[in-house]
Amino acid sequence: MTRRKFVRRLIKACTVIAAGVFTLGSKQGSREAKRHKFVRAFRVKGYPGPVKPMQNILKQGKWSG
Amino acid sequence: MKVQCELCPKLCLIQPGQSGECRVRINIDGVLRTVVYGYPCSIHIDPVEKKPLFHFLPGSSILSIATIGCNLHCKNCQNWEISQANPEEGNVPAYNCPPERLVAEANKYQCPSLAYTYTDPIVYYEYTYDSAKLAHEAGLRNVLVTAGYVNEQPWKKLLQHVDAANIDLKAITEDFYREVCSATLKPVQNALILAKASEVHLEVTNLVIPTLNDEPEQLRELSRWIKMNLGADTPLHFSGFYPRYQMRNLPATSLKTLETARKIAMSEGLNYVYIGNVASREGQNTYCPGCKKLLIERSGYTILQNRLRQDRCPDCSKEIYGVWK
Repeated sequence: MTRRKFVRRLIKACTVIAAGVFTLGSKQGSREAKRHKFVRAFRVKGYPGPVKPMQNILKQGKWSG
Repeated sequence: MKVQCELCPKLCLIQPGQSGECRVRINIDGVLRTVVYGYPCSIHIDPVEKKPLFHFLPGSSILSIATIGCNLHCKNCQNWEISQANPEEGNVPAYNCPPERLVAEANKYQCPSLAYTYTDPIVYYEYTYDSAKLAHEAGLRNVLVTAGYVNEQPWKKLLQHVDAANIDLKAITEDFYREVCSATLKPVQNALILAKASEVHLEVTNLVIPTLNDEPEQLRELSRWIKMNLGADTPLHFSGFYPRYQMRNLPATSLKTLETARKIAMSEGLNYVYIGNVASREGQNTYCPGCKKLLIERSGYTILQNRLRQDRCPDCSKEIYGVWK
């Protein structure tokens, strides 16, 4: 292999690696940007479980907190 | 299409028809939905001391609500029947109580504040947020009782409508959070720091569990962290553990252990350290950090005497941290 061919192949290899790194980096960047965007959840109509009329709320809660 | 819930650090990637770890945030046709909005499973009027908040409107009543669900799965959960329930299983009924009705009920029973508590208000975030906003507009105050496992952006947004919070700092090690709570420590510490920076009245609870987080060195480290990051005036509640849920193999926390924890925290420079869940007269009272005289005497959730003059000690005039009126 001549020196010129070697240099050409080296440049090609470096270009491919740089392009790969850039693509991965930008994908990660957009993923990070997406992660920081908080979107509220929407309500559903009705409740999936049983619903009962309001109790006497004056009674102290039995749960901790 | 999968959706990602950005609310808490778990960042659940949810398949269509499935829910996140909290069981109440669901992917329906590619849209993230909350199934508990306006449907609390528990509504009660409690003394504010039960939250526990000892430096926030002492002796007042607080309308307290919770929906089903939690983003943590603590093996020792005291409220696991509601926190780990699934709304679709139908074991826990709910009440139809949209934010407007919640505020109306608080006004009806003359409660100056609302507490989002019992499970974790983070998982019913939208309901908490809308109710808190409406309550503020009606001149009421909002209290969160939470594990603080939440992402920064939604947390900051919610804090705009929060007046006080009791946040659990369950331990000071990542191992504890990972093994006992299926969570991580760092986001909780961030939530605490952000709450303090937002000028929310902040109190911290640490549930002391025998053999898991009761080592004096751990308690010392936890106290140091609070002092350094939240300030010496931040009230700290050491709460007693009772065998529950998946942790019935451990004994209840002894009064002696809680008293040791209190001594350690006070020796580290924290000014207001309390004992909860176990009867302790001294550990429930507030003393002036300046002259050491008794300021507020409590028995359980009852205030026996409150000697504060506005926000100051009547003997040495030291300003006492809190929201007193």
